[in-house]
Amino acid sequence: MTINEHVTVFAGLPVAAFPSDEPTPDADAVAWRISGDWDTTIEEFGNLFETFLSTVDAAAVRALIIGDWGNSYETTAPIELVASAASRLPRLRALFLGEMTYEECEISWIKQGDVTAVLDAYPDLEIFRVRGAEGLRLSPVRHGALRELAFESGGLPGEVVRAVGECDLPALTHLELWLGTDEYGGDATVDDLAPILAGTRLPALTYLGIRDAEISDQVAAAIAAAPVVARLSTLDLSLGVLTDTGVIALLGGQPLVHLQRLDVHHHFLSAELAARLTSELGEAGVDVDVSDPQDPEGEDGHRYVAVAE
Amino acid sequence: MGNPDNRRVAFLRAAAARTGVLVRQVVPWRELAAGTVTLARRTLVRVDSPGEDAEVDRLLRGATAPARHGEIVGLRAWYRGLRAALTRLAEAADRADALLLSPPDDVLIMFDKGACHAHLAAAGVPVPPALPAPGGYAELRAAMRAAGWARVFVKPAHGSSASGVLALQVAQGRVRATTPVELAAGGALYNSLRVRTYTDERAIASIVDRLAADGLHVERWFPKAGLAGRVVDLRVLVVAGRATHVVVRSSRTPMTNLHLGNGRGDLAQLRTAAGERAYRSALDTACQAASCFPGSVQVAVDLMFGPGWARHAVAEVNAFGDLLPGVLSAQGRDTYTEQLVALRTFAPGVACAT
Repeated sequence: MTINEHVTVFAGLPVAAFPSDEPTPDADAVAWRISGDWDTTIEEFGNLFETFLSTVDAAAVRALIIGDWGNSYETTAPIELVASAASRLPRLRALFLGEMTYEECEISWIKQGDVTAVLDAYPDLEIFRVRGAEGLRLSPVRHGALRELAFESGGLPGEVVRAVGECDLPALTHLELWLGTDEYGGDATVDDLAPILAGTRLPALTYLGIRDAEISDQVAAAIAAAPVVARLSTLDLSLGVLTDTGVIALLGGQPLVHLQRLDVHHHFLSAELAARLTSELGEAGVDVDVSDPQDPEGEDGHRYVAVAE
Repeated sequence: MGNPDNRRVAFLRAAAARTGVLVRQVVPWRELAAGTVTLARRTLVRVDSPGEDAEVDRLLRGATAPARHGEIVGLRAWYRGLRAALTRLAEAADRADALLLSPPDDVLIMFDKGACHAHLAAAGVPVPPALPAPGGYAELRAAMRAAGWARVFVKPAHGSSASGVLALQVAQGRVRATTPVELAAGGALYNSLRVRTYTDERAIASIVDRLAADGLHVERWFPKAGLAGRVVDLRVLVVAGRATHVVVRSSRTPMTNLHLGNGRGDLAQLRTAAGERAYRSALDTACQAASCFPGSVQVAVDLMFGPGWARHAVAEVNAFGDLLPGVLSAQGRDTYTEQLVALRTFAPGVACAT
């Protein structure tokens, strides 16, 4: 599986492209998607971004999606460009950096950089989503407004996971990490997740997604005893390589019946274990998603995460 | 002109029976591939695909043995054979005062991707930019560097459907090719129904080098739009200047060809996503592409939308792309019936309209 289409809703707002032939909507009514074309240069993207800022009522913009900034497999994300526009985007609350499909640039090739600058520049940002992890860096920060943080990747560096664990995010309710595979730089270990699973710096967390992970089984085993679980309403282990081993550990651990939702779709469970998971938790009122089952034996002996390329 | 046992011929016969058109004769491709043919006097001659017949393929290539199943071999020789056969067909048509509904010149351009690309570009049809045909992998990489392109589609100049096509990307010292080509031990190439990924540059180079011997056409990878979680493009059949049949082809890979296990997508959903203006504009482009082949009663255009739907480009133009079972025109006609009805008014060179 690859990511093949753009989001149509972001931060609860319908997405509007810029530039577009369509009539221009109110600046605060949509999530603006600014994207270059397949032959855009980074300079042209910079001009496009400036045109956007001076064309729409930038002061009213609430949500922004940065799509293809041009040769995104070679050119680092325009992080400084976005950060330096903070004073002109005072109401920006949601940012998606690198929203590209496989056809534009596959996820494991998208060149990111140090995204700390974005969090520093936008202290009121509430939603921050990043796609791609090549060159991705993050320094531990304290951010009082951030509610939703997501790193989508085919391989998330352990350094980034550790940095997330060291951040103070008192308002964060939604944390989503796509760990990916070590083939694409996803070298995070369960130990790297420990501060997150302890939840000390994440007092408001209700959704935890450790997704698209080759190490799903180890993650599941760690979650079985993780303090943070008690405050969650949604646990999302989808898109990864979850097998019977992980689910046995999960079911043998702390109670999960307080969850509203457990999502393990795209898994490698036997039919028996999938049924057991559904019945044990389903009867307790948990909405369990065991859709998109993969062959438990894998393909030619390999089990793949859903999104790597 | 066809392979008599092929379903294409069966579909045409059924359509002829429905519309009251007399099928005077089916001239087997094996006859034409082997030598000269005689056509019935003052007839309209539908030229259908020589494909799916190992013996015709062997004859066109002038080879002694048929190709192994799925093997990509002798594409240039096949093209030369096609050119010679269609030249004989044109002569036979002259002798019989018959009209070929797919003129040889049109078919030959459509089976030469480099020539076809140039032909369309010269007429102002939007196509992705192309590189000069490289003689091998090293030349390809050098040309990509010179052009500043990291992602290209590499296509055999004389291939059909996704046969031998590679979606190639190179960046940050990595290389990846996504393709239905299977590299067998000993270096032979096979088309498979499974799209696979190569990251070993030696394997990729050996595939490209082998394909290059029979001619390549390389275009910059035009990113395609997505719909319902899949990559999509359109197959638009243009009959006598009108876009009559449209199929959404959807895929989880960059190759949307339907024989690769890809599904047909939802056209209504695509029209909604694209917006009616972008959709109509794309159909206009399909007609414009078809009008570059004014002597052909039908031309099948593969048309790609960019990710935001606003842009589109023509990926391929197919001489024999009208095998679209179950797809009906606005008038409720299948592709074969539509063409037979169009023959009542078809005049080669008719203007284009949607």
